[in-house]
Amino acid sequence: MKKRFNPITDRSSEIVAFLMASPDMPKDEDLRFKIELSIEEAVENVVQYAYEGGIGWLEAGTSLDDKSLILTIELRDAGMPFNPLEKDDPDITLSAGERPVGGLGIYICKSMMDSISYRYEDGNNVLVMSKRV
Amino acid sequence: MKVTINKQNEKTLVVLDGRIDSTNADQFQQDIASLMEGEKPDIDIDCTNMTYTSSQGLRVFLLLQKSVMARNGKMVLRNMNPRVKEVFDITGFSNIITTI
Repeated sequence: MKKRFNPITDRSSEIVAFLMASPDMPKDEDLRFKIELSIEEAVENVVQYAYEGGIGWLEAGTSLDDKSLILTIELRDAGMPFNPLEKDDPDITLSAGERPVGGLGIYICKSMMDSISYRYEDGNNVLVMSKRV
Repeated sequence: MKVTINKQNEKTLVVLDGRIDSTNADQFQQDIASLMEGEKPDIDIDCTNMTYTSSQGLRVFLLLQKSVMARNGKMVLRNMNPRVKEVFDITGFSNIITTI
């Protein structure tokens, strides 16, 4: 299941809802929570930053391997090349006073999903997240 | 997200009901603006019915925690559901915000 959203300004929740309604999604509420949260963080990253405030598209899709039960979510955009996985993980041992505000989105994806990968392909950012369901 | 704030003597009781996500995190921040004011705040937040928070919700909780500490106050988040608690755990927020 795949759909291209264009434009994407202020449409994070619509894109998340589209993916969560996919028949590939599990029914288990704990899994759904983790997947929805990861999708929201990843989509929000694209909506907020990929086009630097300009107009652009995002293609969002899911697939499920029936044998391995691995759910895969792919997000593709034509914004500026940006690998979110290169960013250092936040230092979660800092005190409240020292903790910077923000910068947790991709770290949450990494923690909640089984794997996450990025590639730049044909002028597109491609983020792929997967989880055994 | 519905936010109910009640002052009881020195204590401020807050009840959160619903989800905090990219659509309403700014509104949530405005809804709790009154908690960012006053000396030595004593804030008790009932999270029983907070069903979801994204990093944008965490952002607001961190701002509030910093503000409370700067004013020599205290804050607890009470009865968080296990899914939301896990988000606080993996991000280290359980170490910097009191959850009971």
